[in-house]
Amino acid sequence: MTNAVDMLEHLFTHPLRFLSSALPVGLALLLVMLANLPVSFTGGALPAPALALAAVYFWVLVRPDLVPPFAVLMVGLMEDLLSGGPPGLWAAGFLAAYALTDRQRETFAGLAGAGALLGFAGAMLLAGGTAYILATMIYVRFPPLPPLLLESVSTVVFYPLVALSMGWVHRKIVGPMRGGE
Amino acid sequence: MAGFVWRLTRGRGAKQFSLAVCGVLAVVIAFLGRAEASLFDNARATLSDWTGPGLTQLRAPLLALEQWIDNIGTIFTVYRENIQLRQENAELQKWQNVALSLENRMQRYELLLHAVPDARLASITARIIGESNRPFIKTLILNAGTAQQVKKGQAVVDDRGLLGRIYVSGERTSWVILLTDMNSKVPVVIEPSHRRAILTGDNTPSPRLELDVGDGPIKAGDRVISTGDGGLLPSDVPVGVVMGEGDDVRVALSARPDTADFVHVIDYHIPEPPPAIGPVAGTPAVGPAAARDATPPAAVAAIVAPKPTTQVNTAPLQSQNLTEPQFDGQNEEQDR
Repeated sequence: MTNAVDMLEHLFTHPLRFLSSALPVGLALLLVMLANLPVSFTGGALPAPALALAAVYFWVLVRPDLVPPFAVLMVGLMEDLLSGGPPGLWAAGFLAAYALTDRQRETFAGLAGAGALLGFAGAMLLAGGTAYILATMIYVRFPPLPPLLLESVSTVVFYPLVALSMGWVHRKIVGPMRGGE
Repeated sequence: MAGFVWRLTRGRGAKQFSLAVCGVLAVVIAFLGRAEASLFDNARATLSDWTGPGLTQLRAPLLALEQWIDNIGTIFTVYRENIQLRQENAELQKWQNVALSLENRMQRYELLLHAVPDARLASITARIIGESNRPFIKTLILNAGTAQQVKKGQAVVDDRGLLGRIYVSGERTSWVILLTDMNSKVPVVIEPSHRRAILTGDNTPSPRLELDVGDGPIKAGDRVISTGDGGLLPSDVPVGVVMGEGDDVRVALSARPDTADFVHVIDYHIPEPPPAIGPVAGTPAVGPAAARDATPPAAVAAIVAPKPTTQVNTAPLQSQNLTEPQFDGQNEEQDR
């Protein structure tokens, strides 16, 4: 309750700061929508990437204070609802990846180049694995594994693009507006 | 190892607590979503209604980029494709003549036999505004919902064949579960053996055929069409062709959800049973001669006029008159 009051006070006293703090989650939600557009650049050969997970991973490494667990749950739920899948699967997957990244933040943040890509691939595999185990439990059968692996590959391929875009937003908008904190 | 697990699990104040609560919440939602699907279907419909305009706006520039990339790819194959298309066109023109001649013959037979005509089905044309090709689900989002008379369970076709059926209907958007989805099961008939089967999706591009009734031979290339069994879908909608043999018989689907832009939602109802017929005054004459003589103009018109099972509407959704009945339900007696 106190947090909600603080947030409202923050919104009116520092509107730009508030908006910049909401930007990481807002961008993740936008990427959920983008990933679910009926457009495929691979002719339907590859599943749509889980772009929002790439955004969540980036922001947890750079500004974990702007991505609380509840926001990750909401992004995951929106991914589930907008992709038409059973609710809760990707929400749980995103939270598992979040937990790993948050606990090992120094290790992941120190990676560069191919190492950074491998770090994200690890988080993606954990998210996909969590969603797969949960799907197996609720469907009471094993869903086919290849589509999940393909989605993991396509998400990892898109990670550098998402990371570059988010990095630009961080340097140009979020960082300057929230400087001094 | 134990130290690593300990570092992962040990609490770190409020953040760790809220993470644990959110994790438990996600798992509870997953099981609740399975048990009480309607609860989340309503949320999904509301969300898609809300994001529908955004999806439409975001789609336009990306679609242009997709077409541009596709065009680059086809530059190198355009000559070969042109020759192939000419050959296919010549072949199809032959088949068109055969189809027209068979259609005329069929109309004459129906006239002679006083056959009950197929009910003409109303359809709604909708644009695809969202698509999900995900590991656990294959769906489409359409820009038509309950406001346009789209209801749960209705069949969705593109110009080639059956795509799937509606499983969530919001006010202005609806969700289609594709035949390839692992939750999709649709009754079908295989021609020419007329064997019935269940088409079961497994998230691969070619769903599996679970053979059900009959023991006719099935071979690759046989046609698969929908059946009205169970009252879910209209019958005779093309589904695809059989591929593979033995225990793993699959279907190469006719519909192409990845290239479809507009689709048709078919408004299908199970025909109502005829009212009880009273005692007949005189025994009607039977046989071809009698049929030739008994051709009242109204009956002829009723038999010949309604024919196609799927009305292909090329006009956009907004221009369609949804209130205009295409199946003449008011004159059922006459139609029969």
